[in-house]
Parts: sequence; structure tokens; C-alpha cells
Amino acid sequence: MSDPILSVEGVVKRFAGVTAVDGAGLSVGAGEIVGLIGPNGSGKSTMVNMVTGEMPADSGTFRFDGRDITALPAWRRARLGMARSFQMLRLFGSLSVEDNLLLARHISMKRSMWESVLGARPAREEEEAVRARARELLGWFDLAPFADRKVTALSIGQQRMVELARGVIADPRLFVLDEPAAGLSPPNVDRLIALIRRMRDEFGISILLVEHDMRVVRDLCDRVVVLDSGTKIAEGPPAAVTQDPVVVEAYIGRGWKRRAQA
Amino acid sequence: MTRAALITLAILAVGFVAAPFLLGGYELNVLMVALLYVILAVGLNLATGYCGQFSFAQGAFYGIGGYTAGILSRDVGTGFWMNLPAGIVVTGLFGLALGLPALRLKGHFLAIVTIAVQTLVYLGLVQWNSLTGGQNGLAVPPIGETTLFGVRLFEVTSLRDLYWVALVMAAVFVFIAWRLVHSRLGREWVAVREDETLAGAVGLNTTFAKLTAFVASAAFAGGAGVLNAHAMQGVTPDDFQIWISCMVVAMMVVGGRGTFMGPILGAIALTILPELTGELARYKMLIFGVLLVVCVTVAPEGALGRIRKARESRDQAASGRAPAKDPSEASA
Repeated sequence: MSDPILSVEGVVKRFAGVTAVDGAGLSVGAGEIVGLIGPNGSGKSTMVNMVTGEMPADSGTFRFDGRDITALPAWRRARLGMARSFQMLRLFGSLSVEDNLLLARHISMKRSMWESVLGARPAREEEEAVRARARELLGWFDLAPFADRKVTALSIGQQRMVELARGVIADPRLFVLDEPAAGLSPPNVDRLIALIRRMRDEFGISILLVEHDMRVVRDLCDRVVVLDSGTKIAEGPPAAVTQDPVVVEAYIGRGWKRRAQA
Repeated sequence: MTRAALITLAILAVGFVAAPFLLGGYELNVLMVALLYVILAVGLNLATGYCGQFSFAQGAFYGIGGYTAGILSRDVGTGFWMNLPAGIVVTGLFGLALGLPALRLKGHFLAIVTIAVQTLVYLGLVQWNSLTGGQNGLAVPPIGETTLFGVRLFEVTSLRDLYWVALVMAAVFVFIAWRLVHSRLGREWVAVREDETLAGAVGLNTTFAKLTAFVASAAFAGGAGVLNAHAMQGVTPDDFQIWISCMVVAMMVVGGRGTFMGPILGAIALTILPELTGELARYKMLIFGVLLVVCVTVAPEGALGRIRKARESRDQAASGRAPAKDPSEASA
């Protein structure tokens, strides 16, 4: 395998005495879909927030695309090609669906901010091109009729799709998805799975996926990393990992087998 | 929204252009003050309405602009047209300084810091006698004759002339504000207001966005301050107390923060209304205070924000696809 897009090593994060992440690491190869799973409180969200830079790590190194990004804030990491979605939906609530996408594309606009303020033609043309791209992508996510709609007027499922489109429009190398299936109905979960696979296959986006829904993990992930109490307890293909007794124990607890047999 | 704003602006422009031909000196003076407050409120709206950064220091920036003009006139002998850009730049730099705490503070805490800054500036103006002339303030020459490379262009002598200068300046500032909020920069301000974490996550430099909003906001006040100083032919610290800041906040909030026309209409209405109420004008600040409290309680989005909201929910109903009706949707 070539060098991974993302490699994280020896990460520690403590909150007032509680060690949320304790020396865990993970990597995502180019074009790979890697699942990050674990029971509640195992440190998945903390890990993700440290990967994307929303939260600083106490120690550990983060490398992205061959570059040390440990010291970089979230916005700098985004500019290097890292997109994310949030466990609790995050969108710019008062803006239209299209403007939400547009903002995620600001980072790769070539024209300066001042040309945009002055209303110079190249800046206007560039913005029009991005708007066209946004509408095209919205079609891809079945959101075309809602482009001008205020984003909060959409259903939760549609808002999740806007979040995905927002990630894709930035042309990221890595898309970090934090529980994208949360709150979705089963048919929408099917759509989600198909869309995530297409993101990888058609846009070549590597994906780090935090998910509770095991169906999503099994269907999508090439590899799964399991966290428990902030340490990595297993890693491998989804089918193997979910059978791993250590993993089962972490989820269900010690002694379940004995009790089941009794 | 945009079209309604342009139509309202056009109507206002016609009214303000016609005013000198129809109104007497007193009324014209009131309108000129209204124009100054339009600049102040539109400026404040950039930082507070669009970027979500509360500030009670607009009055201080107004004063800094005015004192820059006064000090430059006294010590360097420059006239209005030199003082105007100088005042804008100096005030913009002070805005940058206020923006620095805003990088760490949010909401009420930031508001308290801006109140402190407002108070400090006032105390500085009162106490720093050698620079500011203390409680007596400074005399500032009138705009007078304007020349370019030795060629006499025009002369500003009467109140009517001053009014024209104020109208042109207000128009220019409103136009600049329009360009700013409809640019990429303005969109990033709104992004910071809506969700700063998300703004960072999509790669926006939120530090840059906040600082530019504060600088622009202060620079507007600085421009208004320079004009005010030359129009009144003087500045005193008491013209720039926190009441001024509160009044500008009231204008913006009542009109509708984060809407383009709201602060403009708010500034005009709250300047003119007290003049129409005669005796009641003595209780102006009390009435503004009550108005502010009522507004924040009943319609925190302000008059225009209210209208916009109503229109949106009407469009929503008309489009027939309310979000809750999506059948495949689980409640999250």
C-alpha cells in the first residue's frame, strides 16, 4: 500500500483526569473507507475532533498527505483537503442550501476577497462557476429543487445530504463522517450507503467513518478500527472484527457467554 | 429581498435629494443628523448584524474619528478632505484593536469588553488634556473651500451644502456596505455568526473575518465622526458617551440587525421620531430603552427581520412541501 492519506499515532487526550483517548492511532489509505467504531464513551468522537483539528491533542502526531499537521488549526487542515460532517448536524442555518455549499468552496477560489468586494468580473465569473458546480452536486444528492431554500426548511435527512454535498464540493482528499446515519430512516440509510460508496468510487475521496449502525460499517468499510476506553483493541476487515471476542466483550461486557450458557 | 431593498433605497434617495428643496433649516439639520446615524448604524450592522460580534463602542469610534479630525486640523492644519481618509484609517486601527479581544470572547462577555472600551475612550478624551483639550474639547474648522491642485472646486458654507456632503457620504458608505455584505467577505461574516466551529471546519479564516468586520464597522463610524466634527465645528467628549453607542444599537436592533435596510430605516426613524414628539423628546433615551427591551423580547430580529421571516414562512407554506411531511423521515 502506498503512503496513507491520514496517519495518526500515539494520541492522548485527557479531560480533567479522565483519559478519553489513551495512545490510540489509526490510518486511512488513499481511496480507502475506514470505519472507527467502539462502544459509547470509547473516545471515537474525541478522536475525530482531534483529527479534524477542532480539539487539540495532549500528545501524539497527526500526518495528512505526508505532512505533519499536528499543530494546525481546523481551518488550515480543511484547506489541505480535509472535510468533515458533524454528529449533531451543523449547517449555516440562515443561509440557502446553495450558499452553504458555496461557503465550503471559498477555500479554493482563486480570486482575492477584494476583487469580490469590488465586484470585478473575474470574481463574479468565478462565483457563478462555483454556483453552477453547487447546483450540479445538489442534483447528485437529489437536492436540486431545494438549492434556493433556506437550509433549515429541509428535513433532517435532507440536511444530512446537504452536509455530505458540502464536504464533496470542497474536493477533499479525506472526508471524515461522524455518524452520518444517525437519525436516518432505513431507506435513507440505504441511500446514504450508496452515496458514500459513490463518493469514494467517483471522486476518489478517502473516508474515515465513525458509525454506530453496524450495517453501514459492514457494507462500506474496507477496514475497521475498534476503540475501547481510548485504546485500539482491534483492527481488520469488518467481518473479522465483529467476530473478535475482544470486541464482543467490549460491546456487551465480560461474562455474557457464561451467563448465556447457564 | 434584494429587490425590495433596492426599491426602498431608491425611494429614500429620492426623498433625501428632494429634501433641501422642500424643507427649512431645522428639518434639514435633523435629516443631516439622521444621515450621520445611518452611517453609524450601517457600520455597526457589519460587525454585529452580519458577523455576530456585539459592540457597544460605536460611539467611541465616532469620537475617535472626530478627534482625529480635530487634532489633525489643530496640529497639522489639514482640511476636511485630508482628515476624512485619515480619520477612517485611524478609527479602523482602533477597530482592529477592539477586534483582538473578540477573538477570544463571545456574546455577553464581548459586549462587556466593548462597553469598557467605550468608557476608556471617553475617559481618555476627558483626561488627556494636552492632546484632546479635555472637557472643553477642540474647535474644528468648517469644511469651507475645496480645491484640487490649486483649482477651486466648490465651497461648503451653508447648512444646505453640508447636507449635500452628508448625503453623498452616506450614499457612498451604504454602497460600500452593500458591496461588502454581498461579497465573499460578507458571506464569511455571516458564516462566523451562524456557526464559528463550522466556519473553521470548512476552511474559513474566522480570525480574518472577525477582524475585518470590526475594522469596517469602526471605519464607518470614523468617517461619520470626521464629518460630524467639521459640521459642528468642534468636538467635546460628551458628544461621544455610551448613550450614543446605545442609540446606534437601538437603531440597528429595532430596524433589524443582519438585514440590509433595517439599520438604515431604524436610524432615520429613531432620529426623526423624537423631533416629532415635542415635549416627549425629553424622554428620548427612556423611550429608546423601552423600545429596545420590547423589541428584543417580542421581535429580536427587528422590524425588517420580522417581515423577512413572515415572507419565508409564507413561501414555505406556498411551496407545499413542509419538511415534516417527508414520509421517509424518521424523527431524529
